[in-house]
Amino acid sequence: MSRYWGRIAAGLVLAALIASLIAALLLSLGVASARFPGTGAPARDVGHLFRTTLLQASLSTLVSIVSGIAIAWALDRVAFPGRNAFVAVLSTGLVLPALVVAFGVVAVWGRAGWINDGLLALTGARLPGTIFGLHGIVFCHLILNGALAARVCYNRLAAMPARKLKLGRSLALGPLDRFLALDWPAIRAAIPSLAAVIFLFCFTSFAVVLTLGGGPSNATFEVAIYESVRLDFDPGLAARLALIQLAICFVVIVPAAGWPLGAALIGRPPTLPHWPDHGPARALQIATIMLAALIFGLPMLAVLAGAIAPGALATLASPAFATALATSLIVATCSAALAIALALVLALARANVALIAATGVPAGWARLLIGAPAFAYLAMPALVLALGFFLLARLTGAAPDAVAPAILVLANALLALPLAAAILGPPLERLSASTARLQRSLALSGWRRLLDIELPLIRPDLGYAAAVAFCLSLGDLGVIALFGNADFSTLPWLMYRAMGSYRSADAATVAAALLVLTVFALLLIPRLIAGPRHVDA
Amino acid sequence: MAREKPPGLINWKSVKFYCLTGSKLSVSPLRPFLLAALLLATPATAQDQPNLTIYTYDAFAADWGPGPLLKSGFEASCGCTVTFVAVNSSIAALRRVQLEGEATKADIVLGLDTSFAAGARATGLFAVHGLDLSGLALPVDWADPDFVPFDYGWFAFVYNRETLPSPPASFEALAGVDGLKIIIEDPRADTPGLGLVLWVKAAYGEHAAEIWTALAPHIVTVTQSWSAAYSLFLAGEADMVLSYTTSPSYHLIAEGDRRFAAARFREGHYLQVEIAAVLASSPHPDLARKFLAYLVSPEGQATIPTTNWMFPVNPKVTLPQGFATPLTPEATLLIDPTTVEANQRAWIGEMLDAIQ
Repeated sequence: MSRYWGRIAAGLVLAALIASLIAALLLSLGVASARFPGTGAPARDVGHLFRTTLLQASLSTLVSIVSGIAIAWALDRVAFPGRNAFVAVLSTGLVLPALVVAFGVVAVWGRAGWINDGLLALTGARLPGTIFGLHGIVFCHLILNGALAARVCYNRLAAMPARKLKLGRSLALGPLDRFLALDWPAIRAAIPSLAAVIFLFCFTSFAVVLTLGGGPSNATFEVAIYESVRLDFDPGLAARLALIQLAICFVVIVPAAGWPLGAALIGRPPTLPHWPDHGPARALQIATIMLAALIFGLPMLAVLAGAIAPGALATLASPAFATALATSLIVATCSAALAIALALVLALARANVALIAATGVPAGWARLLIGAPAFAYLAMPALVLALGFFLLARLTGAAPDAVAPAILVLANALLALPLAAAILGPPLERLSASTARLQRSLALSGWRRLLDIELPLIRPDLGYAAAVAFCLSLGDLGVIALFGNADFSTLPWLMYRAMGSYRSADAATVAAALLVLTVFALLLIPRLIAGPRHVDA
Repeated sequence: MAREKPPGLINWKSVKFYCLTGSKLSVSPLRPFLLAALLLATPATAQDQPNLTIYTYDAFAADWGPGPLLKSGFEASCGCTVTFVAVNSSIAALRRVQLEGEATKADIVLGLDTSFAAGARATGLFAVHGLDLSGLALPVDWADPDFVPFDYGWFAFVYNRETLPSPPASFEALAGVDGLKIIIEDPRADTPGLGLVLWVKAAYGEHAAEIWTALAPHIVTVTQSWSAAYSLFLAGEADMVLSYTTSPSYHLIAEGDRRFAAARFREGHYLQVEIAAVLASSPHPDLARKFLAYLVSPEGQATIPTTNWMFPVNPKVTLPQGFATPLTPEATLLIDPTTVEANQRAWIGEMLDAIQ
């Protein structure tokens, strides 16, 4: 048994480091609060903000997961050329700056959007109501996260063990029975961590909620934190609010981290011929795919269309764009590499915990301890992260400008970590189960086993995880608000600054460039990492 | 205070994106590689000449902002190096100085506005400016010992003349137009959002809540930033957006687009004055004061209208052709900073309760 503990210990140490970082970030604000006592008064409507945020995040998660399952189910049954590219393009929502997607949604569904323009021309009337409100928030969150859910569930279905499919086919299961008996158990195991990631993204969503929310009745908890930092400077209150947020989010973090991954439900890709459904189920599947293409694709098309303007080429050819592009690529590459390395540590540790658990030793606590801190990081409000990282950087004595890029890389890597670990976890768990014996018989070291056996075999998953981590970082610029490095700009930042200076055409061009870059990265990176033989994964 | 013809357009404070860093764009293609090197090494620091460090909001230091022009203009004669450290908002700049305390590298904080003046003064971090500002012209009397005003503008609702030929001329009129939609900013997250709360309060006093209740059905959404609000307006999602009287001047001068205008409200318009101050901990206080003097000089102020799109404070500056006309002092509303500081939470609460 002891041979399993090396990797578990590594995972526990990493998890402890992440937990310490979170504690240090909060503590640094607590220490600073001694110098800035503030009023100590919590924001006036903190209870209301929590309720609306909880409602919004729960609804968004539910809608995203259900849609994701439906899309995955349809994709698994309906084979068409470019199916994987289709999934990759859908995933762009997750990794674009949320504000870009929100504006894409408005360009399609808004008062002056495509749908209403079309309806006006055809029928002389607009859609009832507006896109602004709780439904607008949930809809935008669906576009941001639904494709991720689809991708993860689809991977589960695509990895269905061949013997199960064979059995199902010989029993001539109907579409519903097939879903309940074969698909659902495979998907179910992936849901807790998927739902947790989506819930945490939605809970901490700020720009989307305020842009589409339609007013303070749908405001988000984070405005209370803004209030505590902007109106009277009260870092202690900001830290307490962040702690409350963290505590609430543990409701989803604990099941996500503690739930077994169900790796036994993953097999080798079936060599059986494609097994489609027939009749109404197939019609429903095709309709689902077409609907998904419209719902997810139209806002992205709108973002692209926004770039069609005079001066777009000049923007793309400007030195500022070239510099921001290069900076973004470097930061994204570094954070993706870091995220993958950290995710491997966590996923390998969890895989060994599963091995121990299989022998009957209670190991749920280890799973929880390894998994929870990475999720907890996602529950931290961006403003608290910015303040905390700034305070911690000052402790190191380094010039803020100098450490800003490193902190951005770390912050982005941690943001992508739970997702990357969730992608790598199940295949590694399955592999560990099968290679543990091999390792023993060949007397392989853990390192050799990792490099020679495990990494080559999970290359497709590594590719997808790396692509997602890369693009998440590409679209984000969260924590360096206070660092103010005079020589540091990334593409999202370039876009935001242009937007803030009436230069909406420039902003639209940069947004479209980001979208193209993201799609390109989502298609290319998995190929680069997985190798030509694995492109299908 | 006598005021000639001030120039001005828009204000950039809103430009800040709260989750973003700010900085200037430089053109070196090598920058990414230097950036990578930064991960490993500390950059070379200043040599023999003194370095004047100015914390400001990012749009001020942007390529198209006033920062680069002020830097080269002042460096021509000061024998110093000017460094703008651009953080995501002026309030973030203040918070950063507060966190750094005595150890801050900043000599000047530039870009706060009068709503935050009292809070900034209470930090005790700022020194008396000691400048003679009697030659400046603002719509209000200015006698602040610590803060130097460097531009100003009025909040206003901006609209598109083609789609809204007859805009409302007051908050009450706005509330009475059936189906008229506006977009505003959240006072907790954005400076113009707070400006609107102060505007309604200054205009309506204890009846402010009634005005907010009447406005509520017209509000499309309450955004986290001026940029999001303005972009939604440009996309056609509302008839009017909370911005500045100078916003249309940008479209006219920079884009040749005459469609936009700012609605004049008979209650008057709330004034935003942007201010700069020297830190008491600055190792070069004299140099810092010289910079502030340059900032408000005719030469320094000439950069303001078409870079920061605000009215310059120096009456010797001629406004460019097509610029907005400044409002009169009679049409100007302003609540003194101490009263703002003491009441802003209550007033924001009143607004939120009324429109929630």
